[in-house]
Amino acid sequence: MMKRAGKKRRISASTFVALLICAFHLIPFYIMIGVALKSPYDTSSRWVFPGYLFLDNFKEAIRYGDILKSILSNVIITGGAVVGITVIGALAAYPLARNQTKFNKGVRTFSLGMMMVPALSLLVPLYSLMVKIQGISTYWGIILVLVTFQLPTSIFLFTNFIVSIPKSLDEAAAIDGCPRLRIFFSIILPQLKPVTASVIIMTGVSCWNDYMFSLYFLQSPQIKSVTLSVASFFTQTQSNMGAAAAGALLGIVPIVALYLCLQKYFVKGMVDSAIK
Amino acid sequence: MKKTIKKNIINIYYIPALVLFGIFVIYPLLKGLQLSFTNWDGFSQNYSNVGWRNYQALFKDANIKTTLINTVIYGFGSTLLQNVLGLAYALFLNRKFTGRNVARAVIYVPAMVASLIMGYMYYFILQYDGGALNDILAVFGLEAVDWLSKGSWAVILITLINSIQFVGVSMILYLAGLQGIPSSYYEAAELDGASKWQSFRHITLPLLLPAITSSVMLNLIGGLKLFDIIQALTAGGPGFASHSLATLVSYTYFRGQNAGYSATIGIFSFVLIMAVSIVLMRFFTKKEGDV
Amino acid sequence: MKRKMISLVLGVCMMVTMMVGCSQKPEQLENEEKNTTENVGDAGEEDGASQEAPEGASSEEASSDEGGKKYEGITLSFMSNIAGVQSEAMEEVIAQFEAETGAVVEYSSPGASYEELMKTKMAANQLPDLFTTHGWSIARYGQYLEPLNGQEWASRLSESAKQVVVEASSGNFYCLPVDVDVAGIIYNKTVLDAAGVNVDELKTWDAFAESLGKIKEAGYTPIHIGGKDNWTIGQFFDWVAPSYLITDEANNHRDALKDGSFDWSNWKGLAQMMADWKAEGYFNTDCLTADYNAQIKAMAEDKVAFEFLGNSAVTEMQSVNPDVDLGLMSVPSSSDTDEPTLIGGERIAIGVWKDSANKEAALELLGYFAQDENMKNVATADGAPASFEGVESDTGIIKDDLAKYMSQCRIFPYFDREYLPNGMWDDMCITGASILAEDSGAVDNACSAMEESYKAKLEVQ
Repeated sequence: MMKRAGKKRRISASTFVALLICAFHLIPFYIMIGVALKSPYDTSSRWVFPGYLFLDNFKEAIRYGDILKSILSNVIITGGAVVGITVIGALAAYPLARNQTKFNKGVRTFSLGMMMVPALSLLVPLYSLMVKIQGISTYWGIILVLVTFQLPTSIFLFTNFIVSIPKSLDEAAAIDGCPRLRIFFSIILPQLKPVTASVIIMTGVSCWNDYMFSLYFLQSPQIKSVTLSVASFFTQTQSNMGAAAAGALLGIVPIVALYLCLQKYFVKGMVDSAIK
Repeated sequence: MKKTIKKNIINIYYIPALVLFGIFVIYPLLKGLQLSFTNWDGFSQNYSNVGWRNYQALFKDANIKTTLINTVIYGFGSTLLQNVLGLAYALFLNRKFTGRNVARAVIYVPAMVASLIMGYMYYFILQYDGGALNDILAVFGLEAVDWLSKGSWAVILITLINSIQFVGVSMILYLAGLQGIPSSYYEAAELDGASKWQSFRHITLPLLLPAITSSVMLNLIGGLKLFDIIQALTAGGPGFASHSLATLVSYTYFRGQNAGYSATIGIFSFVLIMAVSIVLMRFFTKKEGDV
Repeated sequence: MKRKMISLVLGVCMMVTMMVGCSQKPEQLENEEKNTTENVGDAGEEDGASQEAPEGASSEEASSDEGGKKYEGITLSFMSNIAGVQSEAMEEVIAQFEAETGAVVEYSSPGASYEELMKTKMAANQLPDLFTTHGWSIARYGQYLEPLNGQEWASRLSESAKQVVVEASSGNFYCLPVDVDVAGIIYNKTVLDAAGVNVDELKTWDAFAESLGKIKEAGYTPIHIGGKDNWTIGQFFDWVAPSYLITDEANNHRDALKDGSFDWSNWKGLAQMMADWKAEGYFNTDCLTADYNAQIKAMAEDKVAFEFLGNSAVTEMQSVNPDVDLGLMSVPSSSDTDEPTLIGGERIAIGVWKDSANKEAALELLGYFAQDENMKNVATADGAPASFEGVESDTGIIKDDLAKYMSQCRIFPYFDREYLPNGMWDDMCITGASILAEDSGAVDNACSAMEESYKAKLEVQ
């Protein structure tokens, strides 16, 4: 009896600590929401939530920032890129995990090395290349670039995962006469679901939040990414911080909402990929 | 012979990936290397070769030194913070209590937000005039501080913000790792009379090594390439005090109109990040092998 | 259930606030609120008008010309560094062109990243059909732009506009300046009155510095700089440098700066001035971390006396606080023997890419901007004088000041565009930031860094 009571108290203490941690991580969001909802003439502290409802900032953000249109563009870009990243990444990971020759180890290091290339240092030549192949301001152009720069992450995660799948399964299939090229599809692929979930979410988030590539490769107002709209809102020579905050808020709502809904899958994917 | 061909035939699966790397990374990289030997201003159609001059300048440039130190702080500082805090969070949230799922979700949420936007969010807090942090100081009767005006402070704050934003990534990786450790190990250790610290040191840590590897590598590379947050908070200022190599590349190219030199810095940062990562990879592979 | 309750409550709150106005708001807020709603209303009407106009035009067009419009199927790209109300005024002109010719214009205004984008585009030799030249129609964009001397409207350029856009060596010009930028120092009348400062007495920097002391004593920030956006620091030198190096007819460095023989120890005087003012506390405390928006806000809220910005800032300050009382003064001289001056340059200026596939259509769109009514509207939105003889725009609150000083003062071009090699703007921003950070030896370093960059950049040109 005594022990139980003690345990219960500890549980509530943990809950309290967890609450404090949450509050800490939510401060920036709280401040931004406050700024977004405040009239620009309200000079009260940013900790004070407005006692009235003021939505002009949001109206302005939608009107100038084109947030809604950008969200649609972002969905198309992220969707396309994620498909490419997973398919090409999973394919590439298979030989790297299963056929660990010296050469392939080199390829694996090379691919990891790609993760470390600061994309900015490639900006100028990359831009001229994109112009040459007429990929500026096109969906396929930005998708190809995003796929390339996210591939290393995808290959990294898939390779690690495939290594953990018992080789005996492949060998059994090989003995049964399954051609090596098909082993991937019949044995490996069905088992990749959990890691695929994490690859999709991890790279998907990066694509969704990409700023640099969209800044340089999306220049027509027809295709505009969310970060691009938000950034132009902040950097424009407009002095309404409230509207900028509202724009930023609208820009992050979709991804955060999606995460909160699919959270379970995400955690499960991560957990599955770590248990070997 | 036939067997090796058969064995290697699956290598065709990585050809698409290699083609993409070739077109969008290697070709531009070589082109960038070529530019690093020129005095191109970044937009005109003509320029000339200057040999090693950009590289010589690189080693004399005092700003490069500051930037390099900053980059190291951004990279290693946030990796350390993120992993220590992430592991602490994971250990804490791995226990059963009301609200732990909510806490996990909330800690991870910031990682979903574009760094650029996160930077702007913290700008609302750190601003001198009307910033939320100075309002707290005012409550205690303290004088307002211009948080980002001293370069060293700006660097520390940026590192902190970057770590806080992405600590959720490490936490999730560690949680996953922790859940993969069978509880029977701990029970056995308890029977043997091992202390909490001992079982953490000898069971938890070694078994978490794969998770640590992933987490450290991801964080480190992200930190060394840090760009968006700096851009939003200080844009590299005051002066050059909070630039990272990544922001310096873009700054030198666009604002300094010195694309040749910018390419040189780009190549330099590429080599640096590459070297650091290889060393670390070696280190971890060896460690994992030891266990 | 709980959620439903919350959303119900929220919904009711929303409706109540919409219907009865915001009773809990501070009084001042309510006043301002009226102004904003008026503004919003205005904007709404404008919007309506702009949508109607092209519709009307297009139906007319359709009935008179059934065989399709002139540029049906042609798409023009148009990039501009102009944002806000000015940009909207430009878009109205574009809408008119689209409606009447059937062309589609992809107009984009990427804000602060404009210059970077244009540089990558120049690098790839792939420019938009039309773009704004923000002061660089000759030095930077000249080789990419179609000379416009032969256009119908070419003869109408005013003298001051010609001074700004015509290339001295060839007599060519490469852009249509919709308006011209004539800038001085923007000041807040309310603050200066409270501090007892009369701008007419501020003829030299010494007198100006003295007034800064008074203003500080009166409890205001004398000068505000938003140095996080470090171009605002460069602005300081663009405003100050001419008075030290250029404007004095008897003693100046115009030729030396251009032929490469300039002695950079002459830079020390103005760099030292910035350092002294910083030491005296004449700049805002957060002059390195505040941004441009903060600068606008501080002036609009009557906290600051002077700012060194172009006149488009005035419109923005008014949009924050419509009642702010602003003025424009000429830039003081560095000695008693010289006179105050103004600074002049391009403001909204549009050029056509010389290799554009749709040059004819692009030139015709330029022609739309050259129509009196359109030019007047865009220039008025920009609060700047129109560039054609006979076109009068409304320059708003600073109208009288502009007229007064333009008749009195000589106008000099922006210092960096005219006298420094292309690309040195950034050096002014960076060395200035170091001075404001009060780094040791910053003033001397500024001189040597400027000299070094000057030599390197000249060599490239």
